[in-house]
Amino acid sequence: MFKHICKLVWNRKRVNFLIILEIFISFLVMFSVIVLTVYYADNYRQPLGFDYQNVWYLQVEAIEKSGTAEKQDRPQQIEKFKRVMAAVREFGEVEAVAGAQYLPYMNGNWSSCNDVNGKPVCYWANAVTDDYRDVMRINIVRGRWFGKEDDGANYKPLIINRQLAKERFGNEDPIGKALNQLDKQDSLPEGKRARVEERVVGMVDDFRKNGEFAELKGYAIYRNSLREADDRLPRVLGVRVHPGVTAAFEEKLLKRLQNEASDWSFTIKPLTQMREEMHQQSIVPLTAFAVVAGFLMLMVGLGLIGVLWQSVTQRTKEIGLRRAKGATKQRIYRQILGELLVITTCGALIGTLVVVQFPLLDFLGFATPKVYAYAIVISLLLIYALTAVCGLYPSWLATKVHPAEALHYE
Amino acid sequence: MLKNYLKIAFKVLLRRKFFTFISLFGISFTLVVLMVAVAFFDHTFGQHAPETKQDRTLGVYFLEMKTPDRDGTWNGSAGYGFLDCHVRTLPNVEKVALFSEHEIIHSYPNGEKVPLYLKYTDGEFWNVLEFNFLEGAAYTKDDDLNRNLVAVINEATKKKFFGDQPAVGKFIEMGGRNFRVTGVVANVPFLRITPFSDVWVPIGTAKNDNFRQELMGSFMALVLARSPQDFQAIKDEFQVRLAQVEFPDPKEWNLMTGNVETFFESVSREVIPSQNRQARPKLLIALLVIAALLFMLLPTINLININISRIMERASEIGVRKAFGASSWTLVGQFVVENILLTLVGGAIGFVISVFVLHLISQSNLFPYATFTMNYRIFLGGLALAIVFGLLSGVYPAWKMSRLHPVDALKGATR
Repeated sequence: MFKHICKLVWNRKRVNFLIILEIFISFLVMFSVIVLTVYYADNYRQPLGFDYQNVWYLQVEAIEKSGTAEKQDRPQQIEKFKRVMAAVREFGEVEAVAGAQYLPYMNGNWSSCNDVNGKPVCYWANAVTDDYRDVMRINIVRGRWFGKEDDGANYKPLIINRQLAKERFGNEDPIGKALNQLDKQDSLPEGKRARVEERVVGMVDDFRKNGEFAELKGYAIYRNSLREADDRLPRVLGVRVHPGVTAAFEEKLLKRLQNEASDWSFTIKPLTQMREEMHQQSIVPLTAFAVVAGFLMLMVGLGLIGVLWQSVTQRTKEIGLRRAKGATKQRIYRQILGELLVITTCGALIGTLVVVQFPLLDFLGFATPKVYAYAIVISLLLIYALTAVCGLYPSWLATKVHPAEALHYE
Repeated sequence: MLKNYLKIAFKVLLRRKFFTFISLFGISFTLVVLMVAVAFFDHTFGQHAPETKQDRTLGVYFLEMKTPDRDGTWNGSAGYGFLDCHVRTLPNVEKVALFSEHEIIHSYPNGEKVPLYLKYTDGEFWNVLEFNFLEGAAYTKDDDLNRNLVAVINEATKKKFFGDQPAVGKFIEMGGRNFRVTGVVANVPFLRITPFSDVWVPIGTAKNDNFRQELMGSFMALVLARSPQDFQAIKDEFQVRLAQVEFPDPKEWNLMTGNVETFFESVSREVIPSQNRQARPKLLIALLVIAALLFMLLPTINLININISRIMERASEIGVRKAFGASSWTLVGQFVVENILLTLVGGAIGFVISVFVLHLISQSNLFPYATFTMNYRIFLGGLALAIVFGLLSGVYPAWKMSRLHPVDALKGATR
């Protein structure tokens, strides 16, 4: 039976070739939408590592980024920054406040790389003051958070996430280990040598700065003690307010800060709003893409119905003859759907073969093998569902062919 | 002859309505997507007010600064100090305007929080760009020098602060200071990065002066040439000046690279990665065209499939015509004309739907103040696309059909 159907398909190869081509391209289109969707869905399930509710983002534009004047008045700047933080803390509405280079959902990244066995391990970094844990409600799963014991220590304390621990140290316990490799420093040119050990003191499950849809990526949190002269001044304040505090408080807070530091600028935004904006950056393009792909599939589906319908009408003779020779309606039905199945399999098979090449060519590098496998399976299911639905009406039409019609010809 | 073709085409279209519907659905959907894309492109890059002199405008949008060992790179917008010293003084140009990246600032009229986009500009900004002033006028160079707290606002901001009342002479509070409104301009779309903002204020009103020395920072420059022929000379002079930059601490940073270029060149540099960061605007256009053709691939194959099916229906007509001596070429011509007619009808439907879709996107507020409108450029683009699409999808079925043997055709061939 199967062999026979393949023969029938081969006999109409010109027409079927175009249909296979169409299914193949449809498969690619479907796959690209689905791989992105699966990727986002997979990321969404991962732990976020912080709590964004009731946190406000307070941008502090203190001094400009470059210029030599900056280094000289550092101590005054730090004092001023501490006064600003104290002013925020004074308010009854505020639960905790901390300085940081980045807050979650902020655009822009500070990225760093270390060589491990010749391979660079890259991660995103942040430098925060001690209260950051209370502001973002970070849960330390191993080791400890920054504390007084880090003051004046001969190492730079830092907290890393599980992903970075895995990439950098494999299955070993990361606590107490150095993130940078001091023994290899001698081979580096002067000026690029780090003199201080960066010692891991704690680990968090994860900390995904760009939120729910972002990829899993190594993350390191350095300590900013607002003390040492070579620490950078925090760029933002995270302010955790008590639940129920409204936007009216923003104005009050801003007025107070403007008095404290009149030559600095401040901007306030709830983190929930920044989260929405960041999500839009992921979701809007995907939605647009998915809508276009959806319409494409609708068009392909309708086209397929048309082509199959036409081919059934054209094959009246053949089908009528089979009926006259005693084939049941069931068998005709199975023949038409079977042919369609063979055609779809050809298209989908070529599609899968092409898609499997992508990871080998390092194209679509963001997707893990698991995401990839899921996406392929879902795309295959959908493409079979699409062609099966399109085949229903034409194959039903084929069963309606009366043996007598076939005998009209010739 | 053509009239006959068209008559036949219409009759055929009306004969099997389901097929006609499928074809038209595919064609119009494809053209809607492409026309929306063209409208987007035109909206972002076309020569619209206030950028009415875009054809002779260059800009410094993006610079790079490198460390002595060339490992460290700082890329981003230029600093005010660099632009003031090296770009403002470019010879043989008509005007130079400096402006900052837009930033967000919050204002609290009546205790309500209003986020505003704010841009710092100099006085020349208003001469290089031609904003549509609904009320009042721009601030001037003197306002900038004297650090006057004045502002130009857009129509939407005026509505938020003053309702329907005239706004000129009134004050708006931003960052703890009150700015006097000197003019109200029509809204500028968000995607027009150069002019876009809600509020424009003089550079002199910045809270401190640290930025005035910066080589890298948050400023951009527009250079208005007398004519596009001067572009090359200006670009060459800019490179000479980049080489002359004096670094405050040459051990930290000692090289600057960048270009003075058209906006589209700048975008092509950002979009297409290359070794030495060349601007390749032609390549970008080629890539966009290829992307459009790739997108058309699936609809084209779909339409080819349908066309082949339908042509078999007309085997007897073809047989008669062939038997009476019509050449293959005549038949190919006839069917291609028919197909182009079909795509034009689909194009017309697509055009109407595009107007509707663009209206929806404009309304959705995804892009603040976007006004995606149809204009003759998009219409011509759509027309060209429809014809290309018609040719692509019509030629193969017509060729296949024209090769039918008259005897087979008369019999009603199946294969």
